[in-house]
Amino acid sequence: MKQLYKQTKTKWLLLFFAAMAFASCKVEHLTPAKESVKDISGDWVVISATRNGTDLMSLIDFSQFKLSFKDGKYTLVNRLPFLVSKDGAYSLDDPQYPFKISFTATGSPAVATAFTYPIVNGVRQLTLTFSPGCPNNTYVYTFKKAN
Amino acid sequence: MRSFLQIKIKGRGFWYVCAMFVMGIVITCCSIQNFSVVQPDTAVVGSNVDFKVHFKFSNIFASRTENFVFGFLVPKGWDAAHNTKISYTSSAGNGNLVLMPGTTLEPQGNGLNWPAAMKKKFGIGGNLIDDMEWVVYQSDVGFPLSNGEAITADLTISVKVGADGNNTLCKLGYVIAESYDGLHDPDGFLDGGEKYEYYAETVTSCFQLTGGPGDVVDFCNPQLSSYDPPKTLDNDFFTITYDGNVATTPLNNAAAVYLCATGNTSDGKSITVCEQTAKTKLTQTAAGSNRYKITLWPHQFFGLSDAQTLTNMTYYITDASGSTKVGYGNTTAPFVYTFKCK
Repeated sequence: MKQLYKQTKTKWLLLFFAAMAFASCKVEHLTPAKESVKDISGDWVVISATRNGTDLMSLIDFSQFKLSFKDGKYTLVNRLPFLVSKDGAYSLDDPQYPFKISFTATGSPAVATAFTYPIVNGVRQLTLTFSPGCPNNTYVYTFKKAN
Repeated sequence: MRSFLQIKIKGRGFWYVCAMFVMGIVITCCSIQNFSVVQPDTAVVGSNVDFKVHFKFSNIFASRTENFVFGFLVPKGWDAAHNTKISYTSSAGNGNLVLMPGTTLEPQGNGLNWPAAMKKKFGIGGNLIDDMEWVVYQSDVGFPLSNGEAITADLTISVKVGADGNNTLCKLGYVIAESYDGLHDPDGFLDGGEKYEYYAETVTSCFQLTGGPGDVVDFCNPQLSSYDPPKTLDNDFFTITYDGNVATTPLNNAAAVYLCATGNTSDGKSITVCEQTAKTKLTQTAAGSNRYKITLWPHQFFGLSDAQTLTNMTYYITDASGSTKVGYGNTTAPFVYTFKCK
């Protein structure tokens, strides 16, 4: 009888430790940090421009040209050849991970272009590639926020 | 008689055989010989012209199946990919060449497709305007070649020339290669040096098209005035270069040169901008170079409304007084530039 009691006790102890071991594991729910919404509103000025890979900055005065985004609308100040020639509305394909920006000039269909938004030396830049004239002529403008 | 050089090499015979074998591969592998091109000197815009290419392909080293590859350097305005038919007759069979798919990579091109690899290796064949393209074809079937086999082939390239209507002078380029080795070039020389390129390339002298309704476009000879990019619309940035070294003009030794231009719009208006101010001044590219440039946005330069577009512009280069003018070919006729993309 004493023997039986001892066996039962060992079983219970084993069960108890097994239960403890299971209880010690805890499922941890990780919540990833939310990617910030890319806000491009503000005035942007051209800091580099190329045509078919040739630098345009030394040939054309870009200092007066400004691209300004505000509340879903954009305006072109002292416009130069650009993706669109009139003011209108803009949108990003994904507010958190934008790959495309589309411009809808008033009274015209939307035009979209590849869009990169890197941080260079701590400053956000906006690089747009487009062809305002012949489709074979490719222009790349890089903007930074005006101070 | 004993040699004066008393060098003892172990296994001399073995190394001798090895050296001969390696030299044999290097010198003779897959060479293209008897490469010749027959083309007329002139043709009429829009006509069908036959260009003939002959070559002999010797395969010495390995046995494998290969397609012949043919690259053709032509003005982009000809749209050769749609206006060319190429047939071949060869000692291994007859057939047609088909366009190389744009996704097919050139074996030596580090990820470039065939047209891009040819442009990188051969450039634009000495033409002066970067508006030429390499159009690449391959044989419709592959040829199983055994070691030591040689094939002679003749290509007939039938082109409807000058699809853009322009009276063009250009140098046409021809390349023969095969699909396995591509533009393999062990010695780094394009043609020549040691003759063991795995391809053959040639650029002919100037070929001239006449009788077309379009502009005269001269890829062969330096021009008084040239353009970058070659094809634009009025909403492009457009660079005009004036090269005073090409001819002795009344503008020699001018302190500054200016653009005097008339833009013709699609709604039938002519807008003349002929002033000698900062707006029209050409900048000398380097001191004493006698080459001058101006980059303009034609839409703004001619003050067009949103609805207007330019069809062409005629222009002169003038001195600071505006009284001395130089036009096309150093004559009193103006230069003409047509705004178009093709």
